[in-house]
This record gives sequence, structure tokens and C-alpha cells, in this order.
Amino acid sequence: MLDREGQALRAELVGIFGRGVDEPLPDDEFDALARRIFAYQFDRNPPYAAYCRRRGQLPESVGHWTEIPAVPTAAFKEVRLVSGDARRAEAVFRTSGTTRGRERRGEHYILDLSLYHTALLPTFDAFLLPDGAELPIFSLIPPVDEMVDSSLAHMVSVVMDRLGARESGSFATVALGIDDAALDEALRGATARGTPVCLVGTSLAFLHWTDRLRARGARYRLAAGSRLMDTGGFKGRGREVGEEELRATYAELLGIPGDHVVNEYGMTEMCSQFYDNVLRDRVLRGTVRRRHKQGPPWVRTRVVDPETLEAVPRGEVGILRHYDLANLGSVMAVQTEDIGREVEGGFVLLGRAAGAPPRGCSIAMDLLLSAVEERGQ
Amino acid sequence: MTDVDAFHLPGLTADDVVRWHVREYGDAEVRLRTPVLQPAAIGRIAERLRAARARHLAELPVAAVVDAIAATAARLADPADPHRRIADAALPAATGYSPPMARLILDRMLADWRADALDSLLRAEFGDPAVLDAFRPGPRPGTRVRALGPALAFHIFAGNVPGVAVAALIRSLLVKAATFGKSASGDPLLPALFARTLADVSPELGTCIAITYWAGGTTTLEAAALDAADAVVVYGGADTVRDVRARVPAETRLIVHGPRISFALIGREALTEDAADRTAALAARATALFDQQGCVSPHVLYVEQGGDVAPEDFAARVSAALERLRTELPRGRLTAAEAAVIHQVRGAAEFRTLDGQDVRIFAGPGTEHTVIYEADPTFTPSCLHRVVSVKPLLDLADAVERVRPYARYLQTVGIVGAGKRRDALAERFARAGASRITGLETMPWPPAAWHHDGQEPLRELIRWVDLED
Repeated sequence: MLDREGQALRAELVGIFGRGVDEPLPDDEFDALARRIFAYQFDRNPPYAAYCRRRGQLPESVGHWTEIPAVPTAAFKEVRLVSGDARRAEAVFRTSGTTRGRERRGEHYILDLSLYHTALLPTFDAFLLPDGAELPIFSLIPPVDEMVDSSLAHMVSVVMDRLGARESGSFATVALGIDDAALDEALRGATARGTPVCLVGTSLAFLHWTDRLRARGARYRLAAGSRLMDTGGFKGRGREVGEEELRATYAELLGIPGDHVVNEYGMTEMCSQFYDNVLRDRVLRGTVRRRHKQGPPWVRTRVVDPETLEAVPRGEVGILRHYDLANLGSVMAVQTEDIGREVEGGFVLLGRAAGAPPRGCSIAMDLLLSAVEERGQ
Repeated sequence: MTDVDAFHLPGLTADDVVRWHVREYGDAEVRLRTPVLQPAAIGRIAERLRAARARHLAELPVAAVVDAIAATAARLADPADPHRRIADAALPAATGYSPPMARLILDRMLADWRADALDSLLRAEFGDPAVLDAFRPGPRPGTRVRALGPALAFHIFAGNVPGVAVAALIRSLLVKAATFGKSASGDPLLPALFARTLADVSPELGTCIAITYWAGGTTTLEAAALDAADAVVVYGGADTVRDVRARVPAETRLIVHGPRISFALIGREALTEDAADRTAALAARATALFDQQGCVSPHVLYVEQGGDVAPEDFAARVSAALERLRTELPRGRLTAAEAAVIHQVRGAAEFRTLDGQDVRIFAGPGTEHTVIYEADPTFTPSCLHRVVSVKPLLDLADAVERVRPYARYLQTVGIVGAGKRRDALAERFARAGASRITGLETMPWPPAAWHHDGQEPLRELIRWVDLED
């Protein structure tokens, strides 16, 4: 729960989120709100305030939102970055558990779940359902009550509940993985009725599932208008598959064309998400621009130089920093380890650093930690 | 711009080649050309190698192989040699190291390929290297022994440390195996340059070695090579090894070199006011060499408390020494993703400081180097590229427990300033999984005759034949 000043900011944010993703948020409006949120967070988030003070950036000295210090996502593993009373958090999302104990998991305290929902719903709606379709949403992610730590499971459950048709549901469990038979029955049923569906899941889950489909010679021709949201990558997970190869598989085995495949880019440490432009372009423009990521107007992304952390000229490759107003209860400005390049209307995500193999004959920390964990030591 | 053929495929015909592939390195300063081979060409290459070995290598005295390799190394050590000039021009871009670093690594590696170093390697493993030429008296009276290498060894390389692959090629030739290497994308050039220089020195031996590149896991090409080989040597991470292991025929000998990690122990005797700066300089050098990507590079420097110079002060001195190395041995260029990880590591450490933990960051400008002093003695693997932890210990032996989770990855322990305790520490870390215990100065440069990762790089290639008289 947020305190009184938080409630006032919340009310303004709800107003902005409620306008949807089409209504642009002018930079001066974004700037004014961002700096108020910065001041709010500075007052309530001692480790963040200390971090800012070390950089000489105080609410009274920051003249523009671009000067607000961005917190590296790894910091969420070290301290509670909560702007308010952590005991009053309505949820705590944790980064995925590739490691147990040896490396701590990042924690994002969510003080106000309904604010989070108010941010995620219009964005999903705009990028996955731009045609206003009300579809069954079939999830390859275990239900949220099995994965209470997972922001992704939470998001998908909210989306199914609020935006999906009645038959929406999860077809996976933590213990058993994807229930291929139940999913098969649901997909065949929908196809027979001519009902388009929306499949959501991690890229890795889709990869394994489609591998099994291929192995048993199964193939669907899902009804026109069917679509798919995948998220996450596979680096360091034992198999490298290009996004394009996966999209070709979706077209071949599911009958979902590339412009109905929307990759989501989100993270535990952010309340807002980014999505591929393609389906929205197809529906609203008729033509599809080059695939890139777009977010809602209450998020700004800066691409910064990998060495100096200064903003790079538009179009150059750098590290992605996101300024997400929906992160009211934690830290608005986060610096990722993701690489990208700004384009008109958004950015191209070029890679996520986690799991990248080292170049030499040593072994870098994340691979080593996960290798040691896999052995169950 | 430098255009180089990054392959050595004796007898290659137009039929073998589907098309030519050119890869750019650096900012397109270097372009390396390799053929895209027909899968059927792999079998033909293997057959040509086998035939060449039968004619030119199987009967050649090992001393003559040593001489040819030493002559090759001598040419590559000569700044005026055309192949050395290519190496100097193209290795930095091809491997990602700075030019001074690439030169230093190459020169140190070349020293290991001189006749005296190769002799010491042969003697270390065989006692009498002539067992590779004929039956020789063995350890048991009345039995003579002979060591025979595989007719054809296929090597899959990994990583970007120049020289690691060539050392493997040399070992393979020393046991008189026809040698076929698939170079790594991180070190795509030096193996081919070595083979071509060898072919200049000895055209006959040059027909017994083939080097090229294809993307690792290109199963159509690899299957033919794996089938043709009598021994397979694979370098790489767990995924690569698992994948290759599944595809190597059961009867084929498979030799695996996985990634390794190393660390240093710095004792009180090396932390006196007189010694501390030199110790810090050596620690900095061990960290900086190979930009910390070598299996010999330290992830953590454990520093004993109670010396004249406290661990935190020592961390500051290591940072200053790394700063001084920037001109002599600049770090190579990072990818944006590698730099992004360094910012995360630094940021996380900074938040531990803000959280009241005993952590201090000593960093150069940009991401050049990062020394993180941290009182918590947990072994923290590094993200590499000159990011090292300094951790205090009451007693150096306490590190044994800290490295236990990483036992199967341990390689070198660099020990300095432990005085009389050194042997006892060596015993404990040997039991804990380390395969090499040395000083801080020698840490980056294992001798040619070392038990690489606890193995015997020549003996594991050969089979013994006993002749009972």
C-alpha cells in the first residue's frame, strides 16, 4: 500500500494509464511527473537516496528526468529498493531461480498491485489485442498460485482474467511442465469452432513444446486471427535458436504468421512491459514496419554508451535504461544489462547479456553459478 | 584492411568448396576467408591427411618433428616473417585483445614451442621420447614399450586465447597423428597461420595438418570429421562437450578440456611495506593478462590479514597497478553486453556498500578495471575482463572451504607470501581440486611440460604396445 503522497501520485498515474497507449505523453508532462516521483522515491528509499547522493543528484538539483540516477537491476538482489514500507507490499516478485542461495535473487516489492495491473493491461491490450478481439488466452506458463514469485505468471493470470475469453487458462504446472494432451484438445476444439486463440509463454517453453509437436508429427492450422506472445531468450540454456527460426516454426506448426507473433520484453524489476510493434502495425496501419520494441507512453528508454554511460547518438548500440513511471513504489529508473538501439518509435533489442559465454578458457560467473547449482551442490 | 585466408587445407579442390565465406573482425579491419565445405569434402580431407601421415609422418623420428615445430616457432618469432606480420596485423582484431597483449601472448607461447621446451614436455611424459619411434626398454625388465599416436586426431577448439589451440596441434603432431583442427570463432587465425608456416618449413609435414573454421555444431560437417578420426580432442563449455560426446562414435578416444577457474592466495610475508607494492603489481598482472579470460586468470585474490598492509589497502594497490598496466597492456575492446555486465557488478557492489556491508570498489575510468574489496570471504566468480575481488582471510587455509563448491572447475592456485606454510597449503588445495599450484608471477604462464588440467596431454593421445622378449 502507498502512503498519502503516494496515493496522490497514483491518482495521476491512473489517469495517464487510463488514457491508453495511443495518447502521447508530452515530454514536459513526463518530465514533471518523473521528477516528482524521483523526489518521492528519494524521500522513502534510503539505499536509493544514498546512491543518488553519491552521484550528487538530489531532487532539487535534477533539472530533467534524464539526470535521474538509474539503478542497475543487479541492485535488486542486494537491497530492498522499496519506496515505502516493505512490510506493506502487496506482492514481492523475484528474478528467476537459476541459482539457489549462492547468488541472491532480485526482489521487486510491489506496494500497489492494482496500479501494476492498471499499467500492464492497456499495454497488453494495445499490442496483442489491437483489433479488440476477445480470445481464449492459452498459457504455457504455470498458474500464478504455483509461481507466486513470478511477475510473468502474475501478469499472464491478470491478462487471462481481465482480457481473455472464458476458456482462457494455463496448460502447465511447475511439477509436470506443459500438459500437451490438454493443450492439444483445447487447440483442436478452438480450431474446429473456428475460434482464434492467443498463446502466451516463454520462448523456451514454445521451443520445447514445438520440438515435441514436430517429433510426433503434430501440426495445427489455428483459426485466422490467432496470435502468440513469447518472451525471454535461451542464452546459456543449452540451445541457441534464433527468433526467426522460432517464428518459422510457429508458422509451420501452428499456422500463426510472423506478424501475429509478438515478443514481449519485460523484467521483474519493471511494472511496465515492451512489445513488438508487428501485430499492432498490421491491424492499425495495414503495413508492418521493421520489428522493434515499443512501450507505453509512461515509459521512456535511453540507450547509453557502454563505457561512459552517457546517452549515445540515436541509432547507436548501447545499454538500455528504462524510466518507468509505473514503478512508483520502488525505483523508476533502472539500468539493465540488455543491449539495444533506438529506432523511430521504440528500440531494437539486440540481446540480453545474461548467460553470454565468455570468450576465453575461463568461465564467467553466471554460467559457473548455474553449472554449480545444476549439480545440486 | 587486412584480408587473410584463415585455413590450411592441403590438396583442397574446387569440388570441395560450396562457396567462400568472409568474416569481418574489429571494425572490419580484418577479414578472414574460409571455405564453406561440402560435407563429402571432410572425408576426402581426412583421407588425404591419413595418406600424408603414412608417407611423411609415421616413420619420421620424433626429434625431426620437434625440429620442424621449433623452426616454425622461430619463424613466427621473427618480426620480419610474413606470417608473423599477418599475426601482428590481424590477431588483435581477430581475438579481441589489444595489440600489445596479442604480441605478448604470442611471444610467450612461441617460447613453449622451442626445441628445449618440447624436449622437456616429451621427457616429462615419456622419459625416453624415442618410444614414439621404436620399441625401447620399458619400466619392466624383459619388456620393451612403444607409444603410438592415433592416425588421425580431430580437434575442436574454443576460446580466444591465442596459442591454446596451437599447443594442442603441436601435441598431436608430436605423437605423429595426422591433425585436423576446427578453429574457434574467438581464435580463428593463429592455428591456420601456424599450419601454413609449418608447411613452409616442411612441405611434407604441412600435408599432415589441416585447419579450417565452421560454426560449432554444424553437424553435417562435424559428423564426417568425428567419424573419420581415431581420437577427438574437444575444448569448450559443458554444452559443447555434452553435444560432441553424444556424437563421437563409442570406440573413438575422446579427450575433453573444459573451462577452468583460478585464484590467488596472498600471505602476510608478501604484504610487508617493502613487498606489498610488488605483490600488488604481480596480482594485477595475473589479472590483466589474457584480459582475465585465461583458465589461469584469478577470479579472487584472497589476502591474509595481519600483514603490514591490510587487505583493503592491498586492493587499492592492485587497482593502482592495473591502472599503470593500461599503457603497457591495454585491455581489449568489450562488447556492449560485456560492459553492461561490469556496470551491473559494480552497481551491485556499490549497493552492498550503501547497505552498510564492508565493501569498497576501486575502479579505473570507464570499465577498464574493477577491484572489489569485500570482507565477506565467499568465493565470487568474476564476470572477467579485469574485474577481480579482494577478500580478507584470517588464515590462507580458510580458502579451502570457500572454493569447495567449485572443486571440479579449479585449476591454478597462485600462492605468494605463505612462507613455510606453502607445502601444507599445496596439499590442501590439491585435495580440494586444484591441478596446479604456483607463484603469483608464474601464474599466467604454465610451463610447456605441465600436467594441463591435471592430465597428460601427450600420453592421453597415445596407446602403449608392450613387446615381451
